[in-house]
Amino acid sequence: MAVRAIWKGYVHFESFDVPVKLHTAVREQRVQFHLLHSRDHVRLRQQMVCAYEKVPVPADEQVHGFELEEGKFIIVDDEELDRIEPEDSRMIEVHEFVRTGQIDPVYLERFYYLGPDVVSPGYDALLEALLEEGMEGICTWTMRKRSYAGALSARGRVLRLGTLRYSDEVVPAGSVDLPAIELSDRELKAGIDLVNQLSGRFQPENFENEHQRKLQELIDKKASGEKISILRPKRRKATAPDKLLETLEASLKKVV
Amino acid sequence: MALQSIWTGTISFSLVAIPVQLVKAVLPGRVSFRMLHAKDYSPLSREMFCPDEEKIVPPDEIVRGFEIGPEKYIVVTDEELESLSPERSRSIEIVDFIDSDDVDPVYYDRPYYLVPSKSGEKAYGLLVEVMRRTNKAGIAKFVFGEREYLVLVRVTSGALCLVTLHYSDEILSDTGIAHEREGAVSEEKDRMVKTIRDMEAAFKPEKYTNERKRKIVSLLGKKAKKQAPVEAPAAGEETPGGPGDLVAVLQESVRKLKATR
Repeated sequence: MAVRAIWKGYVHFESFDVPVKLHTAVREQRVQFHLLHSRDHVRLRQQMVCAYEKVPVPADEQVHGFELEEGKFIIVDDEELDRIEPEDSRMIEVHEFVRTGQIDPVYLERFYYLGPDVVSPGYDALLEALLEEGMEGICTWTMRKRSYAGALSARGRVLRLGTLRYSDEVVPAGSVDLPAIELSDRELKAGIDLVNQLSGRFQPENFENEHQRKLQELIDKKASGEKISILRPKRRKATAPDKLLETLEASLKKVV
Repeated sequence: MALQSIWTGTISFSLVAIPVQLVKAVLPGRVSFRMLHAKDYSPLSREMFCPDEEKIVPPDEIVRGFEIGPEKYIVVTDEELESLSPERSRSIEIVDFIDSDDVDPVYYDRPYYLVPSKSGEKAYGLLVEVMRRTNKAGIAKFVFGEREYLVLVRVTSGALCLVTLHYSDEILSDTGIAHEREGAVSEEKDRMVKTIRDMEAAFKPEKYTNERKRKIVSLLGKKAKKQAPVEAPAAGEETPGGPGDLVAVLQESVRKLKATR
């Protein structure tokens, strides 16, 4: 069943305007815990407390401070922050088109499905143009008082909008410090053979959230007063660098 | 940039186990404010609070509970949680290798990087090189915090990037969102294709800056010039954390924003 639209707007580039509706594409499901006081199981809540006097401070006595140096703050009030909020607009403005696959997944945040808002040839035309060209549109828009950057793409018969993280939120892969290593041809060949042997297609529906089910079972058991046995986490022994080839070859024997 | 390790364990495929650390690939991009008490600018801290006793509850008196009825909870401990999948809480086990572009991006949740630990560099390098040459990515499961994740392990600029994935039952169907085709679109499509080609560019994420952040930084800059900062009462035992350097903090933020435009 299709989910209800959460927002309406139009995709704009050059002389084109395509009216669309946004639908949520992901709905997370997880067992929800609460934090309790251990001795009487009273449910706790978060509270802002004076760091010195340890007394609760109600919301209307709190102000935002930006710490310039230790203990010195610039105060910013809510009105000033409100004035910074972007103006609402219905336009999803495409600034440029990039080849599909060019966006590093690290930037992708959250997806929405875009459905046509009113019947117009624009929706199908845009869908087919993007599919045919293998392109995605990089766009910006404002929704519910927040500005977004996003990628407009086509998949199947539906347009999508994926929000993008800003570049100052993303750690580049290049910051991972990696030493140069030498690999022998035999090691590489054994590695490639092994990976090929272990290859398949991605079938997400084959992966059940087993942990969630086990967690529910644990809760049920505890609710009925059953005893729970604790298993210690198992650590795997790391493969020693000089045993790498040997281990790869033993793995190959196992899978073939 | 210092990468902070948030988990240590191994990533494995078949019999090969590589010691690694998990680091965040996403940092908060917000301007961080400290909440203060309006009357004297004492810094505030967020605490867990018992509404019955009207008292702050220290971390060692806090437990995790699942609500089974009104005000009835089942307490679940860290050990019990870890015990659900003991083999997966210290190991990311690749169960399948797939073509890198086989995963629909709608499944992507949060990205991290894997960094080799001591003596893991060689096997790490091998996995990277093999995945790069075969254009494969790994699908693995692992338990982190309160949840078990399905993850994609792929190569980005020579590093292993781990992206947590949504489960398929969390992805809503797109059926019914698009209408059936409304007859001929080819003329409109051809005009769009032409425009799309004209507007083609390389993806440069730094072109799109966080406008809100820029505005907050500029507001702060203006205010800092106009008036002296307020002072919190002399710190008791608590020392508020935060940036130690003067207006340089602001100048640095402004400079960074300018540099990215």
